[in-house]
Amino acid sequence: MLATLFLATACVGIARPEGWAGPTLADDRLVASIARGELAAVDIKDSSGQVLWRFPPKDRKHPDGSKIEPEAIYSTPVVADGIVYFGAYDGWVYALDLDSGGIRWQVETGGPIIGSAAVQDGVVYVGSDDGQLYAFDAETGDLQWRFKSGDSIWATPLVADDVVYVASMDKKVYALDAASGEEKWHFKAKSGLPSTPVLANGTLLVGGMDSRMHALDAASGEEKWQFKADDWFWTRPLVLEDTVYAGCLNGKVYALDVNDGRPKWEQPFDTGEPVRAAPVLLDDVLLIVNRKGELYGLDPQDGQPVWPLPIDLAKTILSDPLAQGDMAFISAQGGDLFTVNKDGRVALLTLTE
Amino acid sequence: MFLWDLVFVNPITNALVILNNIVLGNFGVAIILFTIMMRLVTMPLTLRQIRSSRALSTLQPKIQELQKKYKDPKRRQEETMKFYREAGVNPLGCLLPMLVQFPIWIALYHALRITVGGTPESVIGLSQRLYPWGYIEQAVPLENNFLWMNLGQPDTSLILAFIVFASTYVQQRLATPATTDPRTQSTNQMMLWMMPLMFAFFTLQVPSGLGVYWAMSNIAGVAMYYFTHGPEPINWRTVLLPPSAAPAGRQANRRGEPSPREKASAEQAAEEAAEAAEAALSPGSKRKKRLRHGRSRGKRKDRR
Repeated sequence: MLATLFLATACVGIARPEGWAGPTLADDRLVASIARGELAAVDIKDSSGQVLWRFPPKDRKHPDGSKIEPEAIYSTPVVADGIVYFGAYDGWVYALDLDSGGIRWQVETGGPIIGSAAVQDGVVYVGSDDGQLYAFDAETGDLQWRFKSGDSIWATPLVADDVVYVASMDKKVYALDAASGEEKWHFKAKSGLPSTPVLANGTLLVGGMDSRMHALDAASGEEKWQFKADDWFWTRPLVLEDTVYAGCLNGKVYALDVNDGRPKWEQPFDTGEPVRAAPVLLDDVLLIVNRKGELYGLDPQDGQPVWPLPIDLAKTILSDPLAQGDMAFISAQGGDLFTVNKDGRVALLTLTE
Repeated sequence: MFLWDLVFVNPITNALVILNNIVLGNFGVAIILFTIMMRLVTMPLTLRQIRSSRALSTLQPKIQELQKKYKDPKRRQEETMKFYREAGVNPLGCLLPMLVQFPIWIALYHALRITVGGTPESVIGLSQRLYPWGYIEQAVPLENNFLWMNLGQPDTSLILAFIVFASTYVQQRLATPATTDPRTQSTNQMMLWMMPLMFAFFTLQVPSGLGVYWAMSNIAGVAMYYFTHGPEPINWRTVLLPPSAAPAGRQANRRGEPSPREKASAEQAAEEAAEAAEAALSPGSKRKKRLRHGRSRGKRKDRR
């Protein structure tokens, strides 16, 4: 009995957060997670792959004297005015100097940070697992305001026209005044909303654990339409002209009409594994990557594969790829960085110190 | 693995999520309810296990006699098995019900890991297990906090580990059958401390949701004992004291003074087993068995 118990507990263990931060590009420097709980700036000029700096620094500590241990990084870094902003699973929001990696400021929230930060007009907006959306001064890190939702905030906030839109696990999407944090409206879905909202021509699109893609009127919060799949929508949708592209945890990618939510492809494209990474457009190819690391190039018009076979990166991919010009960057769990072009040629970025 | 998930892990995961909905989103309460339900479902097996284990322990003196009598290991084994057959006891009888329950336990461990894992990756994993029913979809995300614990993380406060230790100890004391064999006594004594210590140690390593399950399962086991044996047999003073602190004459009986009903039943079981053993060891056993059965029935009548 004890032996079986040993085996059972060995199988159980504790779920360890790994992180799924996507890469960000700033002046030939790729800021990305290169290992669990580590962030780095990598020089990609002439594909040199030289690591310019790493975070966390060995000699720096939190203001309370404790060691900086991000544990895992889910938050895709955002670069604005030479500063890199991101949150970590240790609950801290960090602002780093893009050139040196030095800490400009660091502020602690009440829980792990899963979503990315949004930076607009000198304010950093970031949601936390403690259920609050924080607005910090981008220069100093001083708290401007905070808004308490009913549950964890795992989604990245969206800022547009002085309004902050944020989805929460309390099943609601909130529209808040960007200056004061006052609620303008909220919409309630049937389940938690971990997905980052996207705005397209006055329509706010957000997916949820109720297996629905919701299209809301950005001004009033009224639902325009909803599309039901058979598993959760966790991806940030991509809107191109009048089509919404969204990956689903059932492994399928849907193309929906942004006006009424009707499917535009004859049938959704099935990758066979959950899709958490956001779809991106690489030139005229719709790039899709599933959890298993299978990379697909699709024709956005009809959803047919452009490449004859999927490219197997053989890594767990849950982070959003970054498309820049004719190249896309993909960050795998564990720290590998891949580049892919529109013809489906993949290369592993080799890092040098 | 697919079949294992389909038959065991996924139904248990969904049952936990449904219970979570029923108890208004308190996942700790859902685990407790689930444990009680599982205990009730497996109750016939548990009772069978207890009975088999008691019967085996009653036959121990005769088994030892056999072991002394036959030096050849093959013959000894044959005679022992024959004796078990004659006495109507299956030596695997106490193992089988436990083995049947193992898949449920292990599946429950997996289900708890999936449901209270707490990390974003485990939440994605959960989506792959849930049935696409609206009622279940409404339940996510699950609330990981229960009392002072995060159900997805080990409880470092030691409180849960202590509860698991104490409840395992009490349940062990109640469930271990009394024996006069010094070797069995010594094994029981070791297990009495080892099991609670091991479970307490595991509690510090695994998500506290599992610790809640273990503690609740033990408490339900004690309650089950109370309802099946009546309140009299449990003398809490002797149960809670370590065996060495109990009076020497009562060391084997960790339940304390038995009730008349319990005493009568134990006497009868011991007598029947001993007689069956005697019959198995001597020729003409069938006739003797018949006579003895008649005598037992007579005794039962007298007691009434």
